[in-house]
Amino acid sequence: MNSFIELKNVKKTYIIGEQKFNALDGIDLSINQGEFVVILGPSGAGKSTLLNLLGGMDKATSGKIMIGENDIAKYSDKELTRYRANEVGFIFQFYNIMPTLTVDENVNLIKDVTNTSKDSASVLKSVGLLRHADKFPQELSGGEQQRVSIARAIMKNPKVLLCDEPTGALDSKTGVEVLKLLKSLSDNDTTVIIVTHNALIADIADRVIKIKNGKVEASVINKHPKNIDEVKW
Amino acid sequence: MLKRKMFRDIRKNLSQFITIFLMIMIGIMAYAGIKAYMGGMQETADKFYSENNLQDLNVMGLLNHDDLDNIKKIDNVKDAELKLSITATTDNDKTLLLNAIETNNISKFYVYEGEEFDNKSGVWLDYFYSQENNIKLGDTILVKYESMELHEKVRGLINVPDHLYDVRDESELYPDRKEFGFAYISINEITEDYIKSLAMKEAGIEEEKIFDMAMPNFNYKDYIPYNTVMVDVNNKDNITNVKETIEQKIENAKAIIKIEDTTSYIAYQGEIDEGKTYVGVFSGIFLFIAMLASLTTMTRIVKKERVQIGTLKALGFSNNRILFHYIGYGFWISVFASIAGLILGYYLIGNVFINLEMKFFEIPNGVPAMDNSSYLIAIIVTFIVGVITYITGRSILKENPAETLRTKIPSIKGNVLNITKKGFFKKLSFETIWNIRDILRNKMRTFMGLAGVVGCSTLIVCALGMLDSMNFFVKLQFEDLYNFDYKLNLKENLKEDELKVLYDKYGEYTSLSLGIEIKDSDGQKNANNILVTDAGNYLRFVDRKNNIIDKPSNDGVFVTYKLAETKGYKKGDKITWHIYGDSKYYTSKIIGFNKDPQNQNITMTRAYLESLGIEYKPDSLYTNLDLSNTKEVKNVETIQDIDNLKDGMRGMLSMMKTMLVMIITIAILLGGIIIYNLGILSYTEKQYQFSTLKVLGFEDKQIENIFIKQNNWVAIIASLFGLPMGFYLTDFLFKTAIEEHYDFGAFIKVRTYILSAIGTFIVSFLVSKFLARKIKKIDMVTSLKGNE
Repeated sequence: MNSFIELKNVKKTYIIGEQKFNALDGIDLSINQGEFVVILGPSGAGKSTLLNLLGGMDKATSGKIMIGENDIAKYSDKELTRYRANEVGFIFQFYNIMPTLTVDENVNLIKDVTNTSKDSASVLKSVGLLRHADKFPQELSGGEQQRVSIARAIMKNPKVLLCDEPTGALDSKTGVEVLKLLKSLSDNDTTVIIVTHNALIADIADRVIKIKNGKVEASVINKHPKNIDEVKW
Repeated sequence: MLKRKMFRDIRKNLSQFITIFLMIMIGIMAYAGIKAYMGGMQETADKFYSENNLQDLNVMGLLNHDDLDNIKKIDNVKDAELKLSITATTDNDKTLLLNAIETNNISKFYVYEGEEFDNKSGVWLDYFYSQENNIKLGDTILVKYESMELHEKVRGLINVPDHLYDVRDESELYPDRKEFGFAYISINEITEDYIKSLAMKEAGIEEEKIFDMAMPNFNYKDYIPYNTVMVDVNNKDNITNVKETIEQKIENAKAIIKIEDTTSYIAYQGEIDEGKTYVGVFSGIFLFIAMLASLTTMTRIVKKERVQIGTLKALGFSNNRILFHYIGYGFWISVFASIAGLILGYYLIGNVFINLEMKFFEIPNGVPAMDNSSYLIAIIVTFIVGVITYITGRSILKENPAETLRTKIPSIKGNVLNITKKGFFKKLSFETIWNIRDILRNKMRTFMGLAGVVGCSTLIVCALGMLDSMNFFVKLQFEDLYNFDYKLNLKENLKEDELKVLYDKYGEYTSLSLGIEIKDSDGQKNANNILVTDAGNYLRFVDRKNNIIDKPSNDGVFVTYKLAETKGYKKGDKITWHIYGDSKYYTSKIIGFNKDPQNQNITMTRAYLESLGIEYKPDSLYTNLDLSNTKEVKNVETIQDIDNLKDGMRGMLSMMKTMLVMIITIAILLGGIIIYNLGILSYTEKQYQFSTLKVLGFEDKQIENIFIKQNNWVAIIASLFGLPMGFYLTDFLFKTAIEEHYDFGAFIKVRTYILSAIGTFIVSFLVSKFLARKIKKIDMVTSLKGNE
């Protein structure tokens, strides 16, 4: 099976004063299309940097980042904007939804950047928020707000969904619901990549990538991923 | 350590603190500057009047030494001096108001160059006139008056306290120092031959021999026709009493005029009074806008420090210490900004304006004077900034530390925003609805922005509108009301045959100006004048709306609207008046009103004057003949070209322009800073949302449009308010601030409104565009992390 995402010797160096700091120190990894991937690692290991590079939010210092046939490491700012608009969806720990837009408007926001968006009603239905469509984010619970964020991300029918601690701000019950939703997306051929501290999530992943000191420590395929309900949170 | 934190916080938010600094500085600079300028005008004049002993009364008439002695004997009269004032010409056809005096203790000269007055030969010349005409000390000038020709050496270049502002004629608004000045000589310089010729004319004797025989003891000094006695009263409270006593005792006194009613004094004082209104209006608006914007910024800055306040509290810092720490932010900025504002106000605005005035008024040593209220305003501004910071800080400190440590989620009042979810709003684009809701959520910030831009737009309209109104006034006065090319100011007491020669050559269109005193129903007397017209269509009249109306009919008088309003005159009312020098009273019916932008007086026709039994002796003749090459006409004092009058006005307008440019510059500067400041506040608050949009794939241009849209709305809405407010402000300034004898109103061209609106919009757009550059530089990773 050909890899859908392939990173080759990717480095990201920050220069702070006269000091150089390698957040990513020559990463190599492959991810297949439709995989549910969990990236684990301690604080400062380079997880979020990796996610930012995959999402086109930041540029690698060197190396190749192949998404499908394209090396996004070579993309210009304009191309990266187009990439973010059409191919990748983001889910943040703190949701990052627009407080002054209703649920429906937040989701429909995507129509301003891409022509290939889905129907908002069906997306909201799929995340169980249709009845809240007219509410402002502040009128929703944390889990519901995260679902708005997921709905917004899947509106554009992304090939890759990048999630930065998506359950970090949620209680365990709500976290489970969100994970179920994400898992169902990968079942539909969307590659879902989750960055987390929470090692328990690894049990449900197709692939687990462990990162330490800016390098891949291990990339393990989970032959028998557990069902979410089997995991003890 | 907290001090270090304060300095670093200020450095971190440098652009916001710089804008606070600039706004407070500009506000105080405008206030202190205009105050220092007005105060300087007043102090300079007070000093000059007092040190150079300006007279309290001018007694007019044909006066002699006996009259002088009698006046000096009146109680409370400190001193008095005789003066002969005549309008003379020079060899190069300039006009000089020539004053011949014996002593110079009243209205003493301020000598720029040369010697003090000593009653010997020589001339002491108007300093401005000498500069304009390149006349130097030691030069000899020729002064001609009727048959008298005097060759006088210039012994002094001077200023005189009752000649701060001299115009040749009331139709001139702006002194033309190249063509007209004043000069003083000793009375001994008036030639015996000339006085003798006057005495012979008076006695009806043509031959000198016969006159010598008839008057063997003729002493020409007894026949000098002095026409003024300057009176110095020992105490201001006694002036009215002295005036009344002179009226009763001095038969030759035809008119007694308080110095406050003389042209020079009124013109200067009027400028100060006008300025006082400007101080209130302009500096008030500047200060208000600056305070509004500074306070909004300070409040926002403190609110942004919420988590840090919570941390300090959690660490055990006392509330007071935390409060003092945050008050320090605004306090020090305000203190430094106030000091800078006071200094710049004094040296920049105060000095520039005083220097402009000193080119217009002949007064020495004009310097701005810092007003105590400026210091007070600076203290109040600093205090208010401190109090607002205190109140904001205290509201945060009231919460418990755990609560404070959590980022406050901006509250959304469902009711207000729910409206924007329905109907028409549903059709709006994302950017539009996003901005509408952002405004609804940040009403105070938007209101401050609006208020600031409204204020600036008002000031721009007002400044340009004043220029429009003045141009309109020039057209009204010199094209509509004055419908002649040349005005000939005739010599006094011309005989019928002398007049006929002039009529035959230049036409018979004339007028007469009579100095009168109006007696009100309560017995109070007020000086005024009557214009008697026999000038046909050369002098025209307009109604309130500037439409030309017929001259008054021959059965009553017209009164100017402003005079009628001041006095409460209505159509059909009667006015009782007498001519100066004639105690007989006449009663005239008001048959209509006319608008006169320059003089608030009474108008009647020659036929009506004659029907009252008063002889018509014209003092002005109007013609459209080309007199551009005519320098002198027999029996004509001066020839005035309407184009010169217009030029004079333009001179005044160009001075006004300098002031207006300053007002517009400050307004634009302040407007720009406010838009920048509010823009930066709004940008900082939305940065994480913009960064999310960027992550979602929005292009920089799209985000820029969202950001600029709101500022554009503010500019457009502000213009909608600012334009009419600009009109009302201009109208208010012209109606209230301007001297009593003017009747102006705002007349603002559509072009000015359009220009002001475009100007406001461009400033707002450019500032927004400048700020929008930040969007390109948003680092998605950092700003999203920052939000967490």
